[in-house]
Amino acid sequence: MENEVYAFALKNTLQEIQNACPEVTSNFIFKDGKVIAKNKNTEQETATQTIEAFDAIAERADPIGDLESITIQSAEGKVNIAAMEEFYLTTVSSKEADEKYVNTLTRILIPIVIKLSEKIQPASLDNETSTTEPEPEPKEDDAYEASEENFGLNEDETENNETNEMDQPEEEEPAMPEPEPADEEPEIDDEPLLPEPPVTQLIVENLGGLLVPSDTVRVDQDVITRWNELYGDNKIKEVEVEALNGKTTRCKFKNIKKSKDTGKGIVKMPEKIQLTLETQQGELVTIKPIIE
Amino acid sequence: MAKKKSSQQENATPIIVDEEEIATPEEDQTFKDLNEKLAKIRKNKGVIGYILRNTTSATIDLKEPEKMVEYAIFSSQVLDSSQEISDLFETGDVENVLIEGKENKVLCMKIDGNKISIFMEKGADAADIQKQISP
Repeated sequence: MENEVYAFALKNTLQEIQNACPEVTSNFIFKDGKVIAKNKNTEQETATQTIEAFDAIAERADPIGDLESITIQSAEGKVNIAAMEEFYLTTVSSKEADEKYVNTLTRILIPIVIKLSEKIQPASLDNETSTTEPEPEPKEDDAYEASEENFGLNEDETENNETNEMDQPEEEEPAMPEPEPADEEPEIDDEPLLPEPPVTQLIVENLGGLLVPSDTVRVDQDVITRWNELYGDNKIKEVEVEALNGKTTRCKFKNIKKSKDTGKGIVKMPEKIQLTLETQQGELVTIKPIIE
Repeated sequence: MAKKKSSQQENATPIIVDEEEIATPEEDQTFKDLNEKLAKIRKNKGVIGYILRNTTSATIDLKEPEKMVEYAIFSSQVLDSSQEISDLFETGDVENVLIEGKENKVLCMKIDGNKISIFMEKGADAADIQKQISP
């Protein structure tokens, strides 16, 4: 299963490399002596014999350590075998090929695809139990051939496996662990509905008496009405009051009872809150609602 | 004694000499030229040693002479297998092969019937060495 996931991804990548660079006449990827993926131009037998020749060199490579790459420059072309992760990529190119371009393509694309395949792997294994209903379009696919030839699968099995692979990009989306975006969604929905709390500037008036709560200010009814219009059903239980010196406090609020005090732009404030804010009667404060 | 002599003569392996395999005077001259070039290259920083051989002669200069056989077999295998691979993809005669390992690398070349393998450290400039040795 593991190799089949790689085969599907890598086969397409190999073909794309050749499309991008027609001077690449043949390319294939092998691992542990087996062809994992190859482009359409590469014969299975040729790839197998190349691996045997490569192994013969690798077996005697003690003087230089584990093989990382072989570049064979011949009269009419070049063969490069390069280690990539646990795989070996073989690229055959004509003499006209731009070596730097080919190397850039292969040495960037293939490792990326290998890493992506590794990440897809857990998702594909999770989805393995869900067999596919829709039949994919019949497609000429060397990865299919590679799977069949190298992993000893019969035709039906291979077809099913390929179908699974074809469906993976769609299936993997819900399988991808993405708890964070899901959590963020409600916040994103709420934010645009609520406008910024309006800041109102008011003049401090003393509020006294035996039954006056010390943690409540009295605000003009017009101001409270505007808040209610802005925020509708959202409850406003507290306000934030800020004095000119920058000191702030949160407190409860009620509307001003006396009609003669309404519409004057004042906030009636108990002495305790005035002390907290280090303000006094006649000074300006700003006040804004706190939306729950 | 006479019997012994007779026995030795019977068991002697005949040596068949293929005229095509004998180095021509031109090849010998190339061999000498290459030998001189390689002796200079050997002094380059990062060069571990070299093997030069044709059908009649061979020169080996390595930092680790005790591993001479190992290096020689590897060198021979590289050129043989590389030609096999080249034949498979029909890319013609092998001109040179660069093999990089985790520890060192080796540049193998064929010049006028002479086979050269230059062993070097990973950081060595193989392209520059190739320029120096190429005719």
